[in-house]
This record gives sequence, structure tokens and C-alpha cells, in this order.
Amino acid sequence: MKPQPVSPIELAIFKSAVHSIAEEMGAALRRTSISPNIKERRDYSCALFDRHQRVIAMGDHMPVHLGSMSHSVDAVVKSLKLGEGDIAILNDPYAGGTHLPDITLVLPIFIEGVDGPSFYAASRAHHADVGGTFAGSMGPCREIYQEGIRIPAIRLVVGGETNTEILSLILHNVRTPEEREGDLDAQIGACRVGEQRLKDLVAKYGHAKVNELSDGLLAYTERLVRAELRKMPAGRYEAEDFMDSDGITDDPIRIAVAITFDPDAGSAAIDFSGSSPQVAGSINAVYPITYSACFYVFRCLLGDDAPVTAGMMNAITVSAPAATIVNARPPAAVAGGNVECSQRIVDVLLRALAKAAPDRVPAASYGSMSNLTVGGWDERFHLPFTYYETTAGGMGARPGIDGIDGIHCHMTNSLNTPVEALEYAYPFRVRSYSYRKGSGGAGEFKGGDGLIREVELLADAQVTLLGERRKFQPYGLSGGMGGEVGLNLLIRPDGTSEKLPAKCSIYAKKYDLIHLETPGGGGWGVPEIG
Amino acid sequence: MRIAIDTGGTFTDIVYFQNSQFVVLKVFSTPSDPGRAVIEGLHKISPDPDVVVRHGTTVATNAMLERKGARVAFLTTKGFEDTIAIGRQARPKLYDWFQPAPECLVPKQLRFGVSERVSSNGDLLLAIDPVELEIIVNNIADAGVDAIAVSTLFSFANPESEIKIAAALEPLGLPLSISHRILPEFREYERASTIVANAYVAPKVGSYITTLAANISKVYADSRLEVMQSSGGIISARIAAAEPVRTMLSGPAGGVIGAYKLAGLAGFDQIIGFDMGGTSTDVFLVDATGPHISNESIITGIPIGVPMLDIHTAGAGGGSIARFDAGGLLRVGPESAGADPGPVCFGRGTQPTVTDANLVLGRLDTDRFMGGSISLDRDRMLQYMEQEKGSLATVEEFASGILRVVETSMEKAIRVISVERGYDPRDFTLVAFGGGGPLHACSLAHALQVPRVLIPALPGALSAVGILLADTMREYSRTVMQTIDADLEETFAELERLGFNEFETEGLAGKSFRSVDLRYRGQGYELNIPYGPDMASAFHALHQRRYGFANEGRPLDIVNIRVRVAAPAETFEPPRQEIIDGDGSAALVGTRTVYFDGTPHPTRLYERDKLHAGDTFTGPAIISEYSSATILPPGDVLRVDAFKNLVIEVYA
Repeated sequence: MKPQPVSPIELAIFKSAVHSIAEEMGAALRRTSISPNIKERRDYSCALFDRHQRVIAMGDHMPVHLGSMSHSVDAVVKSLKLGEGDIAILNDPYAGGTHLPDITLVLPIFIEGVDGPSFYAASRAHHADVGGTFAGSMGPCREIYQEGIRIPAIRLVVGGETNTEILSLILHNVRTPEEREGDLDAQIGACRVGEQRLKDLVAKYGHAKVNELSDGLLAYTERLVRAELRKMPAGRYEAEDFMDSDGITDDPIRIAVAITFDPDAGSAAIDFSGSSPQVAGSINAVYPITYSACFYVFRCLLGDDAPVTAGMMNAITVSAPAATIVNARPPAAVAGGNVECSQRIVDVLLRALAKAAPDRVPAASYGSMSNLTVGGWDERFHLPFTYYETTAGGMGARPGIDGIDGIHCHMTNSLNTPVEALEYAYPFRVRSYSYRKGSGGAGEFKGGDGLIREVELLADAQVTLLGERRKFQPYGLSGGMGGEVGLNLLIRPDGTSEKLPAKCSIYAKKYDLIHLETPGGGGWGVPEIG
Repeated sequence: MRIAIDTGGTFTDIVYFQNSQFVVLKVFSTPSDPGRAVIEGLHKISPDPDVVVRHGTTVATNAMLERKGARVAFLTTKGFEDTIAIGRQARPKLYDWFQPAPECLVPKQLRFGVSERVSSNGDLLLAIDPVELEIIVNNIADAGVDAIAVSTLFSFANPESEIKIAAALEPLGLPLSISHRILPEFREYERASTIVANAYVAPKVGSYITTLAANISKVYADSRLEVMQSSGGIISARIAAAEPVRTMLSGPAGGVIGAYKLAGLAGFDQIIGFDMGGTSTDVFLVDATGPHISNESIITGIPIGVPMLDIHTAGAGGGSIARFDAGGLLRVGPESAGADPGPVCFGRGTQPTVTDANLVLGRLDTDRFMGGSISLDRDRMLQYMEQEKGSLATVEEFASGILRVVETSMEKAIRVISVERGYDPRDFTLVAFGGGGPLHACSLAHALQVPRVLIPALPGALSAVGILLADTMREYSRTVMQTIDADLEETFAELERLGFNEFETEGLAGKSFRSVDLRYRGQGYELNIPYGPDMASAFHALHQRRYGFANEGRPLDIVNIRVRVAAPAETFEPPRQEIIDGDGSAALVGTRTVYFDGTPHPTRLYERDKLHAGDTFTGPAIISEYSSATILPPGDVLRVDAFKNLVIEVYA
């Protein structure tokens, strides 16, 4: 049944109201969390869902969480019968999660006189450590069992009371339990803010009206997307790109896509058939990641302030064959799927899209978050530490405008940690942080330059790198050249240095220097000669 | 005699006391040289040689807005020259592939690195090589710059390197902005950004203030010039010229202090300020501790770390344009018709705006807008509204939709500064000013359940009033990163000496207020707490209030210490009008049909000038004055207090 059109004014106000709730949840989470990863780098998302687990509002938070959070709510609804005051927790990538460090909390919202949950509020945050073989839980594992504690959808809060047995089990399996507990409390608080504000909205409008407006908002988003898809040329547009390796063998990994536009129907079909089978290393993406990447790309085709709702994907189908790099099955390791594979999926989608709409699509950006995790013992405080950070690279050139130097693109937008904050908090000394000049691809419009970051360790530590685009360059478009590939070095105090693999975990010594060079963006258009 | 002069977009407002009354004068602003209007205004006042002129200036703000500042060289620790451009490596817009690169105020070739290094605990790890420094100074001399900014890593922990660099640069005779002198706080990007912004506006503000001071002394021989700073305190012209980054919100800060002081006199000390102009709306919150200060402001995309009143801006105002998007949704703003072409009813614009919607619904007067200086074309407006109303049945429906949508964005802005920070709007009085504030205040108060609205006397010159009433103030800070039991007496005393010496130079006696920025160990954000034996418990209480939890077992760190040295302005009590119970009928000038919640109501029209203290009446009514009109919805009750403020009780 087609939903009745609702008043464009009511809808405008409702859209603003629910978005404001998601933003308020995010503000609460950021304010009350403990770890720098959430507070300073803002690696989290909050969203609201309707009775059918369809997202109706999401804060302007992390793009990689776009669209994938509804899979968490689905998984919770499928496996648990939640009552009032319950909050579910999960991180299992194979049942609604993305990778283990992303822990999602789902709170069902009950409206008086209605059976079952009428809405859901959810918060997701990247926790700095969830146990496993490597400090920071982002290491080069081969099975999900090595990547950390795996939490299926279970109740963390029952009838308003935290289940201390479950909490204790979780905290006994992570390296920094106090920080985790604080961050989980912040997530609970954020969900409750969403619950309270949504109940206020129901009190103001009435339950039936809020449902009607929610449906109206989804229909509105769908109209926006279809209007955009009607402008696309009919046909099937194919592209492929490769990930460097899985960190175990040196074999390239293919991601292939075909986007088929049907402008008459205002729809698109995305098919990842032909992508490589899942790999032994940790860069496999689970389906929700692939879905998020598609969501993100089409979200960008709309205006900057289009709402993020499930209505967007009504016009778009995503098919990814099982047991491939874009739809991994257990027990594949997946920590890097979220951060690395997700970026490459975007690259492939853009490459295909550029064939349909060359003037609307940028060349490939740096395409790797260059994840660096360092864990060890801090003599100054007599405490263990775990540090995790991503480093940006060059943005791909756009038709008509150069790419931006040293800036996060696509699936992430996390802030850097200030050098001075870093040196207070960890036994590190940052030696340089600068643009990597000349690393952007040449073109009529030049790709953005990558970054160089050098961190000297002031304690023995386990250093884990997870990077990409160290072998295959970010591509240029319309005759533009590719961006430079990235590079990692370990430089010892005696001046000798060693090239580190893109994906590795090593034990480094006090005074060793980690030298990172991140990839540049691809160029756009044929460069001028000379 | 003290005179406040605030430069605005259209008018320059002059306010002073005479016979214990406020006197307000307005002269047209002179944007090419704002000082001309200041001098012109002064000429209109009978001379009194011993005058203190207090100024709200837009010179720094405009240099930033128009990106017409100085050519700045930036010096920092070698290896970190690009950090001023990299910023926090995040993009401003998440979903816009075509966004422009964030602008850096220092071009690539003017970023210089000096080999030196200080550690987090202040140890000098690498001392400056004088030979290298000399080469850099020569390169800067050859680069043809107007100003220089210096910010090296951990300069606040040990300023040795910066002192050497400053000494070597001194002979160039250029304005120097040195980080440990202006903002000795950690987080290198935000600090450097502040120092660079200071250098960027320094030549312009410096010459403006010097010239203005000289011109004023031609009119008044024994005059002194003072400037309003963004934190709401007054500083001397000399400091404003050296540290102009402190004047970025000079005028708006006047509005906050004006609203705060007038509301305080009227008996309301917890207020939410609401200043709606043509293109944007400013909101702010004042609780029992006074107006809130932020150390993380962003001005025209550039982070500024010196203390500023915490003013939140929403991109919606009277000129905001209404349109339907591709999905059929009504949107209002952020595009604005501005002053040119302006709203449709002004005669040139073709896109309906918030002002046009107010006119449709009978809320504005076609003849009396801006005292009759602009006549509004109702027919023209109706014609365009009809064309643009989309699927809606009537222009009235369209117009009330526009107002509801724009008020929703203002409601959102107020929620950000209140609810999101742990305050309940029901505990506050909404103080509305600016051209649009009084038009929308009651409607917003209903939406936010704010029980009371105050429309201050002199709403059109509130910034100048605030500047006149502000205290003289200097703020000092330093990152110390110590445990809560650390002995900080000496560091506090050092900062206080700086302040007392400066006040002495100005012939003032200042009083010191100490505070600390505290946080739970490991946290990334701090809360400012008055320094004293019970600061830990005060921190836990504030943390509970702001963030919903406190953990008394968790260790606390002192991140920054702060000293505010203040000399209070002479106390001022404006004359009270005798309260005479009345119904305002002497001010009644007519009736008109006005729409409330989509329904037409016959509505009484009052002229504010003719109201007397003690007049009380119930809406629907419109109270018009020179620069604005107050909408009193049906059922709300307005009373004129002894200071001639309009105090409205809002009933849910």
C-alpha cells in the first residue's frame, strides 16, 4: 500500500525533530564517554528506527555506520523478545555487527497501550579494545576468534537494571575494562536520551500521527532518491579495483561491481558478482559494510541535507555473493573490513558511477585509513595503554576542482589526536606531521597529497599496522594519473630502517620510530604536458 | 563621562548616561571606514573633555569574514609546518564530494619550521641553533609579510624557544603574535590557529584603533578609548590593538551583556538570549554563574581558543528563503535574501522569505516598518507567495508553514545550548531582541515550555547598552596538566601579577578570580571550576549536571589554570517609572486581523513608546516599535515593568 502524502510542513518539522533527537543522542554519548576514541575522534553513531526496524533518523556521525545499524536492530529483534527497560548489546559481525570493536546498543521504545516496541533507539561506538590477540583489536588475525570478544545480541540491561554478570564477562575479556565500562554507560545514556525525546514527540503528536509522519519521511527520502536516479543514463556500468593483499599472502583481491540504472523506474541494482572469495586475512567485509558503502555513495548523490532514512534504499538493491570479500561468512576475520575494504568498495562504486555520470564523480581518494595501534606499558603512570588512530590521505580530484590534501574521505571522518594531547597521554614523541608533497596524482585537476606522520616510541610496545594502497594506486579518472601508494617504515635509533608490510604486528623497542606515509588521491583529466 | 559606541551593519549606535538616563543616538554606519561614524556620533554629544569611549568594533570580524587580513608568516617547530593547514584532518561536510578545501590563513610558502623541541613536561630537548634561526628570519624578511605568528610545540610548558624566536624577529618591526603570550594552552592546532588569526587581523585592527584614538583625542583632549572583547569584558585600546583576536565577537558580546544586565535589573538572572537578525539568529544561555564562556569557538571556519561568550548561531533569520525541494518538502534557509535583493515585500526580491510570511499573517505593518523608513509592498508579496506556494491551498497556510519551519530551527538552536548541556528551558526567561526576536519569541517560548519572555527596553541598541555596562576584564590561562593536589600558588600568582600590572598601567584596581579546568584522568574534555578547597566536589556536581554522571572515585587532573582580573563598572540603576495599573489603552492605535495557529484573530495594535509602567493586557496583540514588533499570542499576558521592559507570562 502506498503511504498517504503528508503535509510538506508537518514533514519538514518532523524531519527536523527526529534528526535533532539523533544529534542529541550523539551529543550525550560524546559528552559522557571516557575514551578519546569516542570523545575526541568521534567514532560513533546514533540513530532512531521505526516499528519495522527502518532507520528514520541518524545523526551526522560516522558514514561507515550509515545503513548498517538497521542490521543490528534486525538481529536484536530476530533473536530476543525485548521488554520495557531492556537494552540489547551486540558486536558480532555475523549477526548484525560490522567488526568487533564496534559495539552497538539497542533500546526498544514502548508506547503505552501498544504491544511490542513501537520504535528503537540505537547507539554504536568504536571501542579502543575488545580483547583478542592484539592490543586495540585491529590486528592481522586469521579467524574471528582471535579478534576479540564476540557478543551476539543479548540483554545488557534487563528491566532497567544492568546485568552485572554479562557486563563482568565482557569486561574480563578486554584490556581496558574501566574505560569500556564508562563508554558503555555513555551508550546506555545516549539510548535513553533517544527514548525520552521520542516519547515526548509521541506525547505531542500522538502515536498514530508519528507513525504516519515516519512513513511520510521514508516516502519523501525515496522520492528524492528516485528523482536522482531518473537522471541517470540507462544501462549497466561495470568496474573493478583491487586490494593489495590480505596480509598473509601477497595475492591481490578483486572487488567487482555492476550498477544497473533503470531511469524509467527510478531505480538502481548493484551487484558485486565476480568479487574474490573471502580471504584468510582480516580485511573481509560483512554484508552490512558493503550495504553501508552503497548507502553512502547514493547519499552523496543527493543534496547535502537529505535525511538518512531507510527510504533511500527502497529504490536500490544490493547483491553480494556469500563467502566473498564483500559478504564474508564465519569464521573469517573481519576487523579490517570496516576500515579498509569499505573504502575500496566505495572506490569501485565510484569508478562504475563515473562511467554513467563522469562529471559528478571524483577520482579515487587515498583509500586506506592507515590504522595504527600501539599497546604497551606506560612507566609514567604504571598502567597499560592502548592507542589507536587513523591517518588521513589525499582526496581524489574532482571534475572542476583539485582534491584536498590530507583529509579524511568517504567512510570515515574521525579527527586526529592533537600531538600535545598524545604526548601527555601516551609514551610517544611525535617527530613530524606534514603533507606528503607530490603524492597526489597529476591531472587537469590534481589529486590531494597524502600525509606523513612520525611517532617515536618512548617504551617497548606492540605495534600493529593495517593499511592498504601500498601496492595499487588510487586511480585517476578521465586521463588523470593515480595517486602515490603509501609507505610504512620502522626507523631505529641507529638510523637503520626497515620497510614494514602494510599489514603486520611487530614488537618495537623504545626509541624506535614509526614512519607512515599515506597515499595521495587520484588526478582528474589529462594533465598538461611540461 | 562614559560613552558606548557599537558599529552595526546599518547603524552605529551611541549610548550614554545623562541625568541618570540612557540616551540613545543612531548615525549611519560608514563601512569603508567605520571610525568616521564613531567620530560623527561623538560630535553630536556635548563635549566633556574627560571622556571614556567604549567601542564595539567589527573590524576584526569583517577582516575574517571577507578574508581581507594580513599576509602572515607562521613559525613553528620543524616538521609541523603544515599542521596549521591540516587542522584536525576532518572534512567539514560529510556527504559533499565537491566541497572546497578548508581555507588556511597562511599560504604554503609562508610556513617556516625551526629546529627545536620541548617535551610535555617542559624539558628543552633541542635548543634553537642561532645560525638556522637567522637564516629563517632573513627568509621572512625577504618574503614581504605584514605580520608574523609564532607557535611552537609545548611552548606553554617552556617558552624558551618562542622567546628566542621573538627576539630574533623583533628587528623586522612587524606585529608579532606569540603563542605563549596570547594563549599558553595545549592542543597545538587550536592554539596556532588562534595566534595566526591574531596576526591576520593585527595590522588592520592596530591601525584602525590607533587612528580612531588619535581622532577621538582631537574631539576630546583627555579621552580614553576602550574596546569590548568577545568574552564580555572591556580592554584598553592598547591591548585590543596587540591582541585583536579577543575582539572577534565585540558587538555580539555587547548584546549578551546588555541582555544579561537588563534582565538582571528586572529580576531575572537565568536567561536564554534570542537575537534574530536578517540572515542569522544568535542564542546564548546565562545561568546563576553568569553568561557562559567558550574556549573552543569557531569564527568563519577558524578555531579560536581565547575566551568568548558562548554564542550559538543558527543560519535562519528574517531574510531566509522558503522553497520546496525535489522531494516536496518545505525548506527555509540557510539561503538568505539578505539586504539585497531582500524579502519580496521590500520590492526587489522574488523568493518568499520569513519576513514576507510575517507580513502575510498580519504580523508586520506595511507603513511602520523600521519607523516607516521602508514601506512594504503587500500586493507584490502576495503575488509571489501565491506563485511559490506549491501544493498548499492558501498563502496563509504557506506563510504559517514557513514560520513553523523557521521556528523549528530556532528551537533546535536553543535546545543545543540548553537541553544538550543539561539545562531545562523551563527554568529560564527568554530575552528576545534584534529585528526578529520579539516577533517569534512567544511562539518559541510555547514550543520550549519557557514560562516567561522579556523584551528589554532599548532592544535596538542593546549591544551598546551592554558595552556601556560591562566590567573591565583581562583573562589569563596556562596549561599545567597536574594532579588535583598540586601546589599551583606560584603559577597563579605569576598570572595575577601580569593582570595587576596591566591594570595599574590603566589606572585601575583589579580583583582576581581564580579557576581551574578539571577533568577525570584520561578524559578529553574539561570543566571550568572556581579554584578552592571544594573544587573536587564542585566538579563532580557540575559533571553530574552536564553529563548525567559523576565518579567520585576517579582521579582528577587540573588541565589549565585561569585567572580573570576584573574591575567592575560603576554600578548603574536606571530610573524606575512609577507603576500605575493600566490596560495600555493610551497606546492602542488600532486593530488588524492576525493569524495564530492558522486561525485569524482580530488583534489590537499598540505603540510601545506610549505604554506606561504597570500597563497589563492579554493577547492577541502586537506591540510595535521602531526596530521591531512584539507578537503577543492569544492568552499570553503582557505587563510593562518599572524599567519599561515588556514582561510576558506564557501560558501553555
